[in-house]
Amino acid sequence: MKPVQLIPEKWVDRYADYLYNYAISRVNHEDTAKDLIQETFIAGLHSAENFKGQASERTWLVAILKRKIIDHYRKINSKKGKAEVKRNYSAASDSEGDWLEEQVADPYSIRENDIIENEELGMALQACIDGLPEKQKKVFVMKTISGISTEDICKELKINPSNLWVIIHRARTALMGCLNKNWFES
Amino acid sequence: MISCDEAALICNKSQYEEASLLEKFKLKLHILFCSTCSSFSKRNKQLSQMFGKTELHVLSDSSKKQLKQEIRERL
Repeated sequence: MKPVQLIPEKWVDRYADYLYNYAISRVNHEDTAKDLIQETFIAGLHSAENFKGQASERTWLVAILKRKIIDHYRKINSKKGKAEVKRNYSAASDSEGDWLEEQVADPYSIRENDIIENEELGMALQACIDGLPEKQKKVFVMKTISGISTEDICKELKINPSNLWVIIHRARTALMGCLNKNWFES
Repeated sequence: MISCDEAALICNKSQYEEASLLEKFKLKLHILFCSTCSSFSKRNKQLSQMFGKTELHVLSDSSKKQLKQEIRERL
């Protein structure tokens, strides 16, 4: 396989939304997520020569972003002194003792798994959206994620409604195919 | 009876709550007799549900512009 080349000029169009969604689900704050993306791209440019071309560009950028997120949590924890674990020792509970083991989240909890699965699904969706042709991606995202009205999209992009619906149809069909391949069958 | 193209259009519109009652009725009727559109409609609805439960975000155009600028300056 030919090694992957980095194309920083295309990073924003290709990966910014993916990285943004990845970050936002971990820091729960839009501006922080934005800053982390910026730091990630800058760090990526600095260490571009270390990129060996074995992973995909996106995987490599996500790895950098992960480190930035960890750094972010280290920073906010050191500001407060140190990482704290706050727990309530409840006298009212009928537990045998206040053991930590009794209070950790149940790994088999259905709700917990739903959250994780939805997050993975979100990233799979985003990856499929990023694979759409540019125009389809633009129209589909405006309509579906930003929730902009048909009329406003048509005005802004200077297309007519029937154009818009043709584009939406192509995008949705492509996404169904992509999800079939990357979500349902994997 | 409406064509499959029309059925698909109505189906897409109804994913965004933009199909009229009459259109939805026409679609329902069409689906009764057309397995292709029936399966398309099911998968289309499923896609909408997936978007409903994942709540994806999108970076604003101005933020993207700014990021591009940052990258360009460093190249």
